[in-house]
Amino acid sequence: MLENSYLDLILTAALTVIFIIASCFGLGHLAKWISKKRGAKPYKQENTFAGYFFAAPWIVGFIIFIIIPLGFSLYWSFTDYRVTSQDPANWIGLENYIELLTRDANFRASIINTLYLTIIGLPLQMAFALLLAVLLSQKMRGERIFRMAFYLPVILGFNTAVLLCWRLMLNTGTGIINQIIRSVTTAVPALGYVNRGFIYVQEIITAFFLGLSSGKFNLLDRIIETGFPAANRVPLWVQSPLWTKMSVILLMVWGCGTMMLIFLAGLSNVPKELHEAAQVDGASKWQRFWKISFPLLTPYIFYNLVVGMISSLQIFEPIFVLYRDSQPLVSSTISMVYYLWQKSFSHFEIGYGSAISWVILVIILVITLIQFKLQKRWVNYDLY
Amino acid sequence: MHKKVFSILSVLLILGMLLSACSTPATPAATDAPAATDVPAATDVPAATDVPAADEVTLKIYLLDYTPDTIAWLKSDINPAFEAAHEGVTVEITEGSWSGWDTTFSGFFAAGEGPDIINLGSEMNTLYGESLADMDAYLGEAAWADIKNFGPALENAKFEGKLRGLPIFTAPRYIFCRTDLMEGAGWTTGTPQDFEEWKAFAAQASTIDPATNSLVQQALVPVDAGSMADWQWWLLVYYSLGGELYKADGSPNFDSPEALAATEFVLDLRQAIYGPAADAVGALPTGQGSVIDVDDATSKDNGAVCLAHSGWAAPAFDRPIWENVSIDPFFGDPANFPNSKPVVLAFNDWLAVADYSQNKELAAEWLKLAFSKEANNKWNETMGLIPARNDSQYGYVTESPQLQREAELASQYGVGFAGIKEAAKLSTIMQDALGKLITEELTPADVVEKIQTEYTDALK
Repeated sequence: MLENSYLDLILTAALTVIFIIASCFGLGHLAKWISKKRGAKPYKQENTFAGYFFAAPWIVGFIIFIIIPLGFSLYWSFTDYRVTSQDPANWIGLENYIELLTRDANFRASIINTLYLTIIGLPLQMAFALLLAVLLSQKMRGERIFRMAFYLPVILGFNTAVLLCWRLMLNTGTGIINQIIRSVTTAVPALGYVNRGFIYVQEIITAFFLGLSSGKFNLLDRIIETGFPAANRVPLWVQSPLWTKMSVILLMVWGCGTMMLIFLAGLSNVPKELHEAAQVDGASKWQRFWKISFPLLTPYIFYNLVVGMISSLQIFEPIFVLYRDSQPLVSSTISMVYYLWQKSFSHFEIGYGSAISWVILVIILVITLIQFKLQKRWVNYDLY
Repeated sequence: MHKKVFSILSVLLILGMLLSACSTPATPAATDAPAATDVPAATDVPAATDVPAADEVTLKIYLLDYTPDTIAWLKSDINPAFEAAHEGVTVEITEGSWSGWDTTFSGFFAAGEGPDIINLGSEMNTLYGESLADMDAYLGEAAWADIKNFGPALENAKFEGKLRGLPIFTAPRYIFCRTDLMEGAGWTTGTPQDFEEWKAFAAQASTIDPATNSLVQQALVPVDAGSMADWQWWLLVYYSLGGELYKADGSPNFDSPEALAATEFVLDLRQAIYGPAADAVGALPTGQGSVIDVDDATSKDNGAVCLAHSGWAAPAFDRPIWENVSIDPFFGDPANFPNSKPVVLAFNDWLAVADYSQNKELAAEWLKLAFSKEANNKWNETMGLIPARNDSQYGYVTESPQLQREAELASQYGVGFAGIKEAAKLSTIMQDALGKLITEELTPADVVEKIQTEYTDALK
């Protein structure tokens, strides 16, 4: 390391470039040599060299930034490595995995919370994305503006300004969401019952899941004992552990722009002739959507389901931004990846955190494989 | 032709890069140098000969959530003075946030590379202690006589008896109460003196708007108003009962009667304000400024009658509302616990030197300059807090009746928020258990048992 930071930077950059070029030549020559050993003709050897030469920057990057960290992570998962400790990492075999899978109640709670967000949040997110896509696939004025507006949350992500806006919107007393609920239920009293029914059912389901996490169902009993909510009850979004997960689901739904775009692409691929023929036969709009568009959208639904499920099983940001400043609420919504972050970067238990990450990987892998196995039963590729 | 142009451009680019690399880092222009009166006392500025001049060294400092005034002052006064006294040294301040600091710091320690000086909170001496440099040789009494001027906050900057840095300020948590709102609620006896009074006061001074089913006035807003069950609030209550975190043998003391009483009180107070978990009311609306202040835009109260927090969350000292604000310690529950005592839980911010730092001596010199008598006073004046150095508590500290009252209470009733083993784990364990307390999934007895069991395991 040089004393002059500018020279140091230039030297580092120059060495990086030299390393990349050397890697390209090295990998290209290695591939060519193997090709030669396999008895390939000279032009084939040259082609092999060129192919690996140009692919080398990505391959080298993949090895350095993915494969090597994966190797370290796997190794650390069998150790008690702790960042802030001066002691070296000790090999403890499967201890981290045994602790995690058999004794760690908090990890079990994080799995249950993640499942809640996946089972309830993901279908809602996909349904909303599909609804928006169907609406935006209609020819109308300002169509592009609407598309951009609904995609904007994906670009904005969960930054501080967004978090602040959501916190204000979700405020129980003065937040705009509850204000709208109050206005609507006052204007149409029948909807008040729907709102109270929603609150009751949502709180019962959440209390059930919280009971699964803690092993005690006191809260569920109390909600049932308390009975149907009073007329002035509104959701206690970011305030009550009974509503923390539903608030996260709201943020998930808000960020459905990518799914919406994929559905839009799928809808534009549905042949118009099929709709026209069905229209001639007297099919209604709903029948045309349900019998024609929906089956042809199943590959897109499958894609969104796979990607969405991977994403919701790795959910972290919404929980982090909404509840980091109100820690007693975190346990009611802690996800697997939040738990991984907590163990690795708050408690600095890198060994244990690495084990969590590998368990999450296996869970996601198994679920994704099951999805691929089951797709044959419901995904329609006839058109493609 | 294209090749020639490409070659010329390449040569120019490389030349440009080399020239910029060979130039010396930008030094403040003569006009940027602070005026003599702005620079801390001459005796505080180390002479250039004190430290061997190093070539092109950058001293990196990582600060968390300081006010723009503080940063501006450091950049305009302290750093130029330091750089002038240490040829070839540049001081670089990076500003971070308490939100996400732990992830950032773990990156520094994992890589063994990062800022030389980092900003830590009270309880973090035990968390990072092993990764912080032993600074006794540079800042101990033998090396720096000024160290004896630091108050009890200095203990938070030690690990295993060795100095790891220096404390900036002390920020105790008081009970700020709006006397006018108390009287308006029919409460005329001032800040509640025991648990029973607090519960009665909570019920009497909290108001719910039936139309919104939400609070419009909240008797007490502790740390984390929404849950009213933050671990720091719990610890304040616990210490006020005379509770100790550890038994004589070093094991956790959460199975003590004080721990159970503190947990019951936290739950009772929450229920007196929010009601039971299954039928809770909504929180206070978000207002502008402190929760015990008046919103200038609407001229309405922000809704809190009392606030259990540090001066950070209280109104600015020049706000007219101070005419109606009392400052007291939390009195505990002397009626039921003979060891009960009034408490203000003292938090500190301090600057520590990382063990990986290659510039420990320079870091110590910078700390000496930034923590001189005058500088420690000035630093805290920009934030309206109490300086950690006793001899720095002059000027704005004594001129402000609020700060004077705070300083008196701190010296009388201050209890340090420090010495917590495995602080991050205890925080997680307690927040998890207290989260289940407010939903009534766990009873207070279950909660303390859970904390005791899990924290005992964490300390193994």
